[in-house]
Amino acid sequence: MTTPARSSVSGHVPPARSARSALSDRQLGVLFLLPFVVVATLFVVYPAAESIRLAFYSKLPFRPRLTFVGLDNFRYLLDDPVFRAAALQAVVWTGASIVLQTVCGVAIALLLNQAVRGIHVFRGLLLFPYMVPTVVIALVWRWMFNPEFGIVNASLRATGLVARDIYWLSDPRWAMVSTILLNVWKFTPFVVICVLARLQSIPPELDEAAQVDGAGAWQRLRYITLPQLRTVLVVVIVFRTIWTFNKFEEIYLLTRGGPGTSTFNLAVYAFEQATANLRLGVAAATGVTMLTFLFAGSVLYLWLLRREDT
Amino acid sequence: MNRRQFLRSSAAAATLLKLPVAARAQGRSGTVRVWGEPGPYGGVAVEGMNEWAQKHAPGLKFTIETIPWSDVYPKLMTDLAAGRPAHCLSVESPIAFQLMAEGLLEPVDDLIDRIGRNRLIPGARWEYWGAWKGRQFVVPAHHQSHLLVVRTDALQQAGVTKSPAEWTWHDLLTAARAIKAKTKLFGLCFALGRTIATDYYVISLLHSAGGRMFDAANKFQVVFDSPAAVETFEFIAELFPTMPPGSVGYTFLDVVDSMATGQSGMVFYWGRVFGRAAEVNKEVFNAMEAYQHAAHPRTGKRLNWNDFQGWAIPRENNPYVREIKEALVYIMTSKEWPIRYVHSLVPNVSPVFQDVAQDPRLTAHPFFQTKRRTIFEYYTEALKHASNSGNELLQGINPLAGIVHGRGIIAQGVQQVIIDKRPAREAVKWVHQQLEGVRREHIRLVV
Amino acid sequence: MITRRTRRRVRAALVYAGLLSITLVTCFPLLWAALTSLRPTDEMLRVRLLPERVTLAHYRALLAGRPMYFEAGSGYTASTVPAQHFLAWFANSVLVSVATTLISVAVSTLAAYSFTRFRFPGQSLVPYFSLLGYMVPSIVYVFPLFLLIVPLGLADRLPSLVLGYLSITLPFCMWLMWAFLRSVPLEVEEAALIDGASRFQVFRLIVLPLAVPGIIATAIFSFIVCWNDYLIARIFMNSITQLPLTVGVMHFFEGVHVDWGLMMAAAVLMTLPLAGLFMLVQRHLIVGFGAGAVKG
Repeated sequence: MTTPARSSVSGHVPPARSARSALSDRQLGVLFLLPFVVVATLFVVYPAAESIRLAFYSKLPFRPRLTFVGLDNFRYLLDDPVFRAAALQAVVWTGASIVLQTVCGVAIALLLNQAVRGIHVFRGLLLFPYMVPTVVIALVWRWMFNPEFGIVNASLRATGLVARDIYWLSDPRWAMVSTILLNVWKFTPFVVICVLARLQSIPPELDEAAQVDGAGAWQRLRYITLPQLRTVLVVVIVFRTIWTFNKFEEIYLLTRGGPGTSTFNLAVYAFEQATANLRLGVAAATGVTMLTFLFAGSVLYLWLLRREDT
Repeated sequence: MNRRQFLRSSAAAATLLKLPVAARAQGRSGTVRVWGEPGPYGGVAVEGMNEWAQKHAPGLKFTIETIPWSDVYPKLMTDLAAGRPAHCLSVESPIAFQLMAEGLLEPVDDLIDRIGRNRLIPGARWEYWGAWKGRQFVVPAHHQSHLLVVRTDALQQAGVTKSPAEWTWHDLLTAARAIKAKTKLFGLCFALGRTIATDYYVISLLHSAGGRMFDAANKFQVVFDSPAAVETFEFIAELFPTMPPGSVGYTFLDVVDSMATGQSGMVFYWGRVFGRAAEVNKEVFNAMEAYQHAAHPRTGKRLNWNDFQGWAIPRENNPYVREIKEALVYIMTSKEWPIRYVHSLVPNVSPVFQDVAQDPRLTAHPFFQTKRRTIFEYYTEALKHASNSGNELLQGINPLAGIVHGRGIIAQGVQQVIIDKRPAREAVKWVHQQLEGVRREHIRLVV
Repeated sequence: MITRRTRRRVRAALVYAGLLSITLVTCFPLLWAALTSLRPTDEMLRVRLLPERVTLAHYRALLAGRPMYFEAGSGYTASTVPAQHFLAWFANSVLVSVATTLISVAVSTLAAYSFTRFRFPGQSLVPYFSLLGYMVPSIVYVFPLFLLIVPLGLADRLPSLVLGYLSITLPFCMWLMWAFLRSVPLEVEEAALIDGASRFQVFRLIVLPLAVPGIIATAIFSFIVCWNDYLIARIFMNSITQLPLTVGVMHFFEGVHVDWGLMMAAAVLMTLPLAGLFMLVQRHLIVGFGAGAVKG
């Protein structure tokens, strides 16, 4: 019989159990694992694998047959100027969002870590955007940023900051800004939660000792607090980058990738290829490209970090 | 939980999963799914079908699923790919034409005779709704044109005296500019978003200018690249400064709101805009009038985009074909249902049968008190100037149009001119190339 | 002379100022939606901070199903009114979210326990599975998933959403519970085992109670994902009564015309359950995420 992992008692066989539960440890272990393995294989692994396979096939609409086309789908992508633009926009969108989310997230977490009265209320309120369905915030954003009736333009004009209405969702440059703003608003709380949890586990003695030694607030931040946050920030940034790069709804529900294709990212591009152009193979190829990009990026990032450690 | 309990619960789970499959395999009781575009008329028709079902097929229930416009094409394609389309469709004709050419629809010639081969309103032919290689595949439900809708108070305020009935493109541009300059309203509004709506607007202008996408007489060769197309794109670029800047993202609804909420002085739209204005802003409603489009200065054409909308029945994976045909005949030959159908959205839904058009009950709707002239512009006058991207200049149905609109190719071309400031000539060439690509990929449909 | 006390007071004031301004930015969109939902339709287009008159008409319309299309004097009522399905959508969302959450939590907790207590080949790959699971973008694998669902006869049925959502929640839930259970000490378990308790009893009576913060974090995450999803529901569901809230509400926007009051009311009603749920458990959430984040 197997022994439990990392047991401090070696080679010890547990005493005989009651007759009712006749399952051994190993059997129980497999049993516990079974639901996960079944569901994960069917609904996580299979669709992912199938979607990678589809990248090398072509399917005509209305015909059930898949034709193997090798790398043709990828060639199509490289030739398509919309794909190239979407890739660049995806990088810009992801990069700007992550930088803003991280900076704001750390700042807010530091603020929430203060021991002032009523901090719990603020913690609840500030984590709120993460709860809001994307559909809801996209609709509210469209309403708030409506050029004629929206509160944003009205306030900007009332305070004299702008002379004419900004077309937040119809002007290509502002549309990108609007989608980034929405993304930052919605997901900074995620960063805040993780960073705050870490901050709360840092023993206060370190900071107090530094204070006694005469270190200023900024120095304490830079040399004591931030290094402690390193590991959690790595995890958070990697996860957020993957999620943001793949994000579909935040852009689609706000601008549909428009005006024109100015807010396309690769997820919106893939969606359009699949549903409007009915090119499932090309959409899958886009997915494979995104996957490769992210995988390579994550590996590079983690490798760089490990190098920095040594 | 011991082993026995675990096995029992997994057996239960397996049974639960099998139940829906079992229900689907059953016979004459079930749900017939009918697809329609947003609007009350689909629901009215389905009520009529359910009346038939109560009398002749008590186990069946017809249900309507309205698909938002942006979703129609993707939804349809996804469901067809999965082998489970709706059992009966009422979608825009270019889409129906594509399905028809792919052999996915059930022929309905047998129904035409039962409905009444000679009943169509003058100027309409059964083929307009969907005939392919000599067989009819779509049962006419209604026709709907988009016209020039103006606010007479805005025109007055802007000092425009010439009646819109006599306008040319030049007059339209002048009026739009005058409204923009002298009133608080935008001059004109129609959709310029990257959607199917934009395609329709541009195509009707293109047709008026004498252009076409495909040559029906010559195996649908692409003939888009032409002076008419360049002229159309340039005309839109000239109109754009009089339009709301947000219109580059507009789709159907936004145009409706643009008129109903008092943002624009003129719109190109179907009759629905009157209903909405009546609900939201009585003053605007009172001032609105519809006219045929401004005539092209050279060709004199004033064409509109008429969606000859009808009922199509997918052939595969459809256990209810017979019942749907009976139900359609029932509502088409009834005295009440066509009237109710038309009344559900006046003046958007134009009658297709003579007897219905002449029925005294038709004009019993309150709108006829104040908007009688407008309503008949939609009902009868518009048909004389009707065109359709799937049936360009009514010279032959082209199944490729559905694909073109699904990808928003025309809309993208126009957006290149408006947003990216690309010269019209280049944008036209780009569209031409895209259209040739569509034709190449689907050549088996047209030769 | 600046006393220590003054310095502390100033600092507290600055902190409050920062907190308040950020809270304003964070909460303003939903506040504005709530204000808009109370504004009568004819006031909608005049931009003022507070409504002149407050009305509950939009909420009533939503809950009672007000027709959105102009109706003819013929007395006939169209049956294609989206608003009358709002409650059905709400029920659908609740059902699917709760079901998925229960299954997610159960499956991932059991599996995580197995991974952390028993030795299996490939154990160290568990966290990477989670990461990889998210790298394939959802818009790409949703189509193979749909093609898998259809032959099961589940298309346009709520159970299909549960299966679809599991594909999103499982990787992260697994990772969270795995990280959390790793930090639960083994000594108590082993003592109990030596004393004659069965492995299952140990799991149920000792480990589970200790894992509660992690379970709560996993459950909240799962629920949020399900409640907020749009893409999977849009591809899988067609019938108007079968939609969850996210897809249903878009009908208001893309149906016949844009009714801002109705939509903002729907937005408020869609968000309130999550807000309430969150307020109840936010402390546990931070602990749960924290443990996972620290260990990962």
